[in-house]
Parts: sequence; structure tokens; C-alpha cells
Amino acid sequence: MAEEVPLSFEAETFRKIQPQEYLRRFTQKDIRPDGRELKQFRQTTINLGCITTTDGSSMVRIGNTTVICGIKAEVSVPNPNFPQKGYLVPNVDLAPMCSPKFKPGPPSEQAQVLNLDTLCIHEGFAVWVLYADLVCVNYDGNVFDACVIGLITALSNVKLPEATFVEEDGLVNATEERSIPLNISRLPYPATFAMFDGQYLLVDPTELEESIANELITIICDESENICAVWKVGGVFCNSEYLKKCISIARERYAEISAIIEEARRKEF
Amino acid sequence: MSRQELIGPQGLRQDGRRANELRKIKCKPSVLSQADGSSYIEQGNTKCLAAVYGPREARQKGQVIHNKASINVELSLAPFSMSERKKRTKYDKRLLEIASAVKQTFEPVIMTSLFARSQIDIYLQILQFDGGIIQICINAATLALIDAGIPMLEYVCACSAGIIENTILLDLNNTEESFDTPELTVALLPKSEKVTLLQLDSRLQVNEFENVMRTAAKGCKEIYEVLEDATRDHIKDLLNRSNPIN
Repeated sequence: MAEEVPLSFEAETFRKIQPQEYLRRFTQKDIRPDGRELKQFRQTTINLGCITTTDGSSMVRIGNTTVICGIKAEVSVPNPNFPQKGYLVPNVDLAPMCSPKFKPGPPSEQAQVLNLDTLCIHEGFAVWVLYADLVCVNYDGNVFDACVIGLITALSNVKLPEATFVEEDGLVNATEERSIPLNISRLPYPATFAMFDGQYLLVDPTELEESIANELITIICDESENICAVWKVGGVFCNSEYLKKCISIARERYAEISAIIEEARRKEF
Repeated sequence: MSRQELIGPQGLRQDGRRANELRKIKCKPSVLSQADGSSYIEQGNTKCLAAVYGPREARQKGQVIHNKASINVELSLAPFSMSERKKRTKYDKRLLEIASAVKQTFEPVIMTSLFARSQIDIYLQILQFDGGIIQICINAATLALIDAGIPMLEYVCACSAGIIENTILLDLNNTEESFDTPELTVALLPKSEKVTLLQLDSRLQVNEFENVMRTAAKGCKEIYEVLEDATRDHIKDLLNRSNPIN
């Protein structure tokens, strides 16, 4: 009869073959694999104006997740139904370099769905079209948060030239220097949560946590303590109590992010 | 703008450099956590990010080579990287051409015979473009491959050079490239002085060719110093962090 040798694995191996059990061991002690508390966000850094060929740009890092946003402005004819409004065209690119999980090929569904939050932009007659391109270079969970923060900070960094519309020619003349900053009326910031095992609410999930979570919830709120958007996909475990917790954490996160952006703005000058 | 304005009366170029001066290089290996190896390089205003995955299982059975690893290079240009926004798909001919040149540059240098039937993926992302795309791709890929621990014969360093009015210019930026000055890009193995890539656009006099090539090779060696310093600093940093008592 063969002797029974108990199987014991190194932490890394255990993480790969039984991720749920691995995560459970941590959450049962109220902590996460990277040492954070359940309610703690990863360190967020924001860099403004890093790409000079754009009209506005920013780079956002939440932990290891890195997203670079570049905005270019062009002129176009407005939509006849909304003659006063310009366009904001977001585009997310999850490159294969950002994670081994993304194969090269056409953009996946994750890239297509980018919720446009309400931003009021005042624009002229021939309207500005702002093309916002978000490139994710490192994917370690919670790309949505990084994308939204990147988009908002890049927009706040945009400086448009003065443009006058010449009626006879149908042309727009613009000055060389970029001087006018965008008039943004609301600043929405997001907070994402993952629900694990039906009972643990993990804030700012990493890639490992995201892939085995039951469901993901994103709450976006703005400065006047209003909720701009809530996005919850799938899952049956989250009830209204958890939602209330999410909302209050999202409000705290708002203050955190605003402080970080202020820091970044000061550093830019 | 006439040709002569590319070199001013004091022998200074538009961005204030001398004829044989490289642009300022900033580079850092190991910037991405998900990739096996990565690097970030800035040469003047051109910024490039490289990520290397591998050796790993080949994606398509058709690409498997029975006795070597296959190398796959993908280059993408961010839509905001150029002064006019242009969304280029991955299958843009120019990008494919450059990616193929980078692949052929590294094929003899990476020791692919050690990893049969596997694939090494090199992903390059250009964040800002100001000329010198091939050279920065090769330099970024070299750093990223070293960071990934993939065995190579040597560093591969690339540099471009051109000639205007009998003055040889090193490391051309976008404005200088857009004139039809001949631009020679050289990728060199600095210690053994072997050339793995040589690309010339536009016409160049035969007797000037040797001088331009020599200047570009000197530029490559200067870039090699910078890349090597960056790699050694990074390793020293890692060692210091893993052995705090020293």
C-alpha cells in the first residue's frame, strides 16, 4: 500500500489551480492577497499632459492597471437635431500587450462598451468633435475606473484654440495657440466593486478578483453628491444593503480622487 | 521652409542640436506588470512602449516551427500620437512593414533554437510620434527582451542618420524626415559590430554612403551605452531590494 503523502503547494501554484479557495482564505480573515483591506483602493496616480501631440492627455495608474488617454479635437458639422452640441467620441483600445488574456484581433465587447457620462460642453456652430482614445497598456483589473478617470482628467487638460466661423467660405479659422480650456460642468468619478462568495464586498478588484467574482458593480458620482450612473452586470447576490454600502464608499472615493487630481494639477505647473 | 533652414547659420538644427548629436534618451525597463518583459523609451519627443510575452505556447498551429521559436511582432500607433488624428488599424501596410523589419532584425539575434515550437510575442505601442519609428521600436524591443530574460547574442541598437548639403545629421526627427533627405536606419550589434538591419529611404550618393553609415553606427554605440546603463541600474535596484542587508 502506498503511503499517503499530503499535498501541499506553494502559494503561487495554489493561486493558479484553485483561485476561489485561495481568495477565500484571505477574505475570511478580512484581508486581500495584496495586503489591502476589503474597503481599500489601490494607490492611484495621475499624470496630466504627458503626450504633447494631443490637445489634452492624461495617464492614470490604479495599482498596476495603466490607461493612457489622448484627446484630439477636430471640427465637424453638428447633428441637425442638436445644433448646439458637439461630439465626444470615446474609443477604448485593449491592446494584446496589456494582458496575456487578450489575443490580437478585433476589439472585444469590453472595449466597445464605454459609458459616456454626462458632460456639458459648450461649443460653437461648426462644432468641435473630440476624439478620445484610451489605450490600456497594463491590465490588472478595474480598467473601467481607470478609463473614466483618464477620460475626465484628459478632458480637463484639453485646451482648444479660438475658432471663428466664416460664413461665406464655410470655413473655420482657428488660432495657432491653444488657449481655451473646456468648460466642464460636472466631474463624475467612478468606484468599482466586486462581490465574492455572496458576502464579501471587494473594492477596486484586481484581475484575479475580477475573474472569479460573482458580480461587478460600478457607481459613478459627482461633486454635488448625486449619483450619475450605476452599472451592475449579472449576479444575484447583491441586495440593497450592499448597494447602500457601495454608494457611501463611492462618495468617500470621490473625495480621494479629487485630492489626487488636485495634486497632479499642481505638479503640472 | 527651405532645406537650408534645417541647419541654421551656427550649425544648429531646428531643435537646437548639433549635426552629430542624438536626441535626449530616457528609458526604463520593466514598466508593465502583466508582460513577461517590458520597457518604455523616449527619444526626444517620440515615445514608445514595448511588451514581450514568451516564450509561450504558439497561438496558431500554422506558425509552429519544429526546431525554433517563432517571433511575432505587432506594432500599433496610438491614434493621438501624430499631429493629425488618424486611426490606423493593425493591418496598415506601413506598420506591417516596420513590424516585419523588426522581426527580421531580431530573428538571428534571439536564440530561438532553445525554445522549439513556442512563440515569442513582441508588442510595440507608439504613444507619441516625432520621427525615428524603426529605431525606437528596435531599441524598445531590445530592452523588453532583456527584461523578459530571453537569451540573445547581444543588444541590438538602432539609429538613423541622413545627409543635407554635405552635412551628416544624426537621429532625424519628424520635420527632418519629411523632407526628401535620404534617411539611413542602421541596427547594430555593438560589440561584434555586425549589422542586422539597414534601411535607406530616398537617394544617396554612393561615396557618401560609407560616411553616413559610419555616423549611424557611432550613434548606435552611444545608444548602447544608454540602454546598458538603464538595464544595469534596474538590476542593481532589484538586487538591493531583495537583499536589504548589504
